[in-house]
Amino acid sequence: MTPPASPVEALRAEFDAALGAARSSADLRALRDQFLGRRSGRLTALLKTLGGVEPEARRAIGSQANTLKQDIETAIAAREAALAATGPAPGAIDVTLPGRVPPLGRRHPLTQVRERIEDIFLGMGYEVIDGPELEDDWHNFEALNLPPEHPARDMQDTLYLASPVPGADGGRPATLLRTHTSGMQIRHMERTAPPVRIIAPGRVYRRDNFDATHTPMFTQVEGLVVDEGISLGDLKGTLNAFAERFFDAKIRTRFRPSFFPYTEPSAELDVECQGCAGAGCALCKQTGWIEVLGCGMVHPAVFEAVGYDAERYTGFAFGVGIERLALRLYGVQDIRMFYENDLRFLEQLAP
Amino acid sequence: MKVPVSWLREFADLPDDAAEVGRRLGACGFAVDGLEGDVLDLDVTANRPDGLSVYGLAREAAAAFGVPLKPAPGTTALARKPAGHEKLPVSIGDAGCGRYVLALADVQVAPSPVWLADRLAAAGVRPINNVVDVTNYVMLETGQPLHAFDAAHLGGPEIRVRRARPGETLETLDGQARQLEETMLVIADRERPVALAGLMGGATSEVSRETRRIALESAWFRPTVVRAASKRLGLKTEASARFERGADLDAPARAAARALELLDDIGAGRAAGPLVDVQPLAVERRTVTLRTDRLARLLGDTVPAADVERILGALGFLPRAAAGGWDVTVPSWRVDVSREADLIEEVGRHWGFDRIPATFPALRAMPRPSAPPVLRARVLRRVLCGAGLQEAVTFTFIEDAAAAPFAAEADRVAILNPISEKFGVLRPSLLPGLLDSLVYSRHRESADVRLFEIGTAFVRAGEQARAGWVLTGSRGSHWSGEAGPVTFADARGVAELLAATFGVALAVTPADDLPWFARGRAARLAIGGRPAGWIGELPSAYVEARGLGPSDRVFAGEIDLAVLAPDGAPTARAIEPLPRFPSIVRDLSILVDERLPAASVRDTIRSHAPATLVGVREFDRYQGKGVPGGQISLSVRLTFRAPDRTLTDSEVQQAVDAIVAALARDHGAVLRGTAGPGTAE
Repeated sequence: MTPPASPVEALRAEFDAALGAARSSADLRALRDQFLGRRSGRLTALLKTLGGVEPEARRAIGSQANTLKQDIETAIAAREAALAATGPAPGAIDVTLPGRVPPLGRRHPLTQVRERIEDIFLGMGYEVIDGPELEDDWHNFEALNLPPEHPARDMQDTLYLASPVPGADGGRPATLLRTHTSGMQIRHMERTAPPVRIIAPGRVYRRDNFDATHTPMFTQVEGLVVDEGISLGDLKGTLNAFAERFFDAKIRTRFRPSFFPYTEPSAELDVECQGCAGAGCALCKQTGWIEVLGCGMVHPAVFEAVGYDAERYTGFAFGVGIERLALRLYGVQDIRMFYENDLRFLEQLAP
Repeated sequence: MKVPVSWLREFADLPDDAAEVGRRLGACGFAVDGLEGDVLDLDVTANRPDGLSVYGLAREAAAAFGVPLKPAPGTTALARKPAGHEKLPVSIGDAGCGRYVLALADVQVAPSPVWLADRLAAAGVRPINNVVDVTNYVMLETGQPLHAFDAAHLGGPEIRVRRARPGETLETLDGQARQLEETMLVIADRERPVALAGLMGGATSEVSRETRRIALESAWFRPTVVRAASKRLGLKTEASARFERGADLDAPARAAARALELLDDIGAGRAAGPLVDVQPLAVERRTVTLRTDRLARLLGDTVPAADVERILGALGFLPRAAAGGWDVTVPSWRVDVSREADLIEEVGRHWGFDRIPATFPALRAMPRPSAPPVLRARVLRRVLCGAGLQEAVTFTFIEDAAAAPFAAEADRVAILNPISEKFGVLRPSLLPGLLDSLVYSRHRESADVRLFEIGTAFVRAGEQARAGWVLTGSRGSHWSGEAGPVTFADARGVAELLAATFGVALAVTPADDLPWFARGRAARLAIGGRPAGWIGELPSAYVEARGLGPSDRVFAGEIDLAVLAPDGAPTARAIEPLPRFPSIVRDLSILVDERLPAASVRDTIRSHAPATLVGVREFDRYQGKGVPGGQISLSVRLTFRAPDRTLTDSEVQQAVDAIVAALARDHGAVLRGTAGPGTAE
């Protein structure tokens, strides 16, 4: 059996219930008046009823009443503070207004793709080289097994200078705009003994139409590895790794035989179309594959042109067009957008 | 090359699934560009003239599927003796022709039978009449171009292969009157040219409904000769495509016999005599050595000897076992195969590139650092993007008018064969292209544009690596208040940032000789005494001509990267120890002539101050109320500090007094006030 509750404790229970229902400062003020009011407060009234109670019991109840009074004051103050914390603070600011964003430019999409490729190969121990955009016939064609009148020169319709300008490094005068960055590789081999492991990025020029899929200027990244015992298998392994890293996915690849004058055997690397997972769609012309780059084993005539021992050394080379990869990466339809530099386009890029 | 699979199947027992045939041909180097019904559109690479024929592709397909290949078309017909005895004299007077086969045939010109016309149409060739169609059909089938002359229109009649003579002309089958040059090889009768060798026949000897007798040509012309004439005349034909890649010197007689056989088969005509075959150039039987170990090393895979021999044999090569490999005789139609690597490709592509295991090349030497310009560009991009400029990529070639202000005509690098005048010269500066991009964005709802580009500028002396920047609009609008418009100071600030990045001192001097900038609003940059570029405001007329408004102001700068950072990326710099004693700051406001450059004031201050002056920085320039006309109020903050002690107010005051006196003496400067701790205003 529980002892009969003292009247003070009953009053406490009543207060607790009423406090729970209080929703505003006004409620709290009314509550305080109701229980602690000097004239008609419930606690005052209770104390007034103690006239007939024994002194001992009266003292005990008086002490309980005092405690209750303090507890009520404390509880009301706490609730008052809690209510104040949820209301508008003096000097409050509108935090929903836009912030002042520090200005931050973005690297151009073609740069981003180019550096993405460079970084993959830097991680595989390549060095990134640089070279002239105006070339002589030797470095752009002849040393690459493209003698004058070779029909394959038609594969790269060339822009020529109206009159020659001094060549890079005081060499042959430059007569044309490079059609690929391979000339840089020839220059590198002319002054460096094997082993070679280079990436040659840059702008290249062709006498091409200017439309949604062609520009007379585009960007290329070429790579070259020369050492003893370099094989087509090494080329496959390297480019498979590149494709996986570039597309950030375990991606199926295939190597198709092809033709380039400066490689033998020559191949093209296709990757599985990501638009249809290889099933065939408009993007891949229903083939399930997307052409990514040209590659092959360095033609012995190229080694002979730069004075490398073609018996001792073998090598592989590859070349990839950045615009085409960028179209795919960013889902852009028209290659010309890369040269318009419309801020509304560029500012959508990740920094 | 468009080829019906049913036609391929005439020469080898291939599956009738065109897609499957296409896949296998693609896997050995003939990429499928399209497939419509039974017709494969194959991409034949420039080194494979033999692939420009149904029989050549059938050979590849037969090798790929491991099925036998039937003899070449015309093989049996060539062995037969024709009935008649009629023939024309043929003479070859130039090394551009290696072989000339001629046959006479009596014909009844009429439309071709439907099957033949359909097949030509499927292959993309327009049917004309039975005689012409037979020549085209046999060309597609064998790869050997043929031409039929109306024999009644040949002077002599005879055939002379020779160079064109000065002044000679020829109306070709396409109706064009061609001016011939002495470098061009022609087929002539006794008097005049009747065909351009390897390119196109002449109109006067064209086969027509009245033709009763034809002279059928099947010849071999030197690739360089056909190619040169084709380029010179801007004329490309099915025949020239085959000759300039290299036709089969062994094919002409067989192809002629095949054509006569087909004429007979369809009732279009019959040989009137034997083949006349003049062949000054002998068929070369090349032998190329293929070593087993080289094959394995280059492919990175071991192909069994039996497979090597099977593959080469199926493609028409004759491999004979020799020490360490094979001596391989190359068939006459494989003009592309002359060295061991070529044979390795043959084995590799039919063995299957996909079967070759993927490996990794060993790294046997320490990788070298990348080229300085590459490293430099990366730093520049990081800094400029961080500074809020957007990277642009603009065309290297621009129109001459846009280049004109930046370089005298003699210094501009023009393109000989530009795509259009818009791309006529190589840019002498990055600024015209950047301005075009700025204008492009301004016209497309971007008010504030800040662009930079890293690239090459071209002058007569050669290539110059540069960075350029253009700025317009506000410095950043925000609800809390406008930051104000960009000014010259922003363009100059970019140059200062770049100089600080590479740890070089930048000298900025006023320049009035830069015609692409507004007068009085431009400066030259120099680093270590070397010219390094320029900054300025573009002239309003120039900006307006490009389509911006009269109130639009564009500021720009360009810096020569070989001067800014010849070594590439900045190297780590030793950090100066932080000061151990406090500095004392004095602000100085003076009235000076408005034309006096701040740099002069700064120089005077520096040259009259003790070594304890460690900083001079302008913080206000004011003109207006309280400042006499023609003058400005310039406020400068001077920072004094000694490395070894705390300076006293009185020694700083002495220094300031000396500076004020020097400014008054050298520039007539009037002190408006000084401020600083312990100093009365």
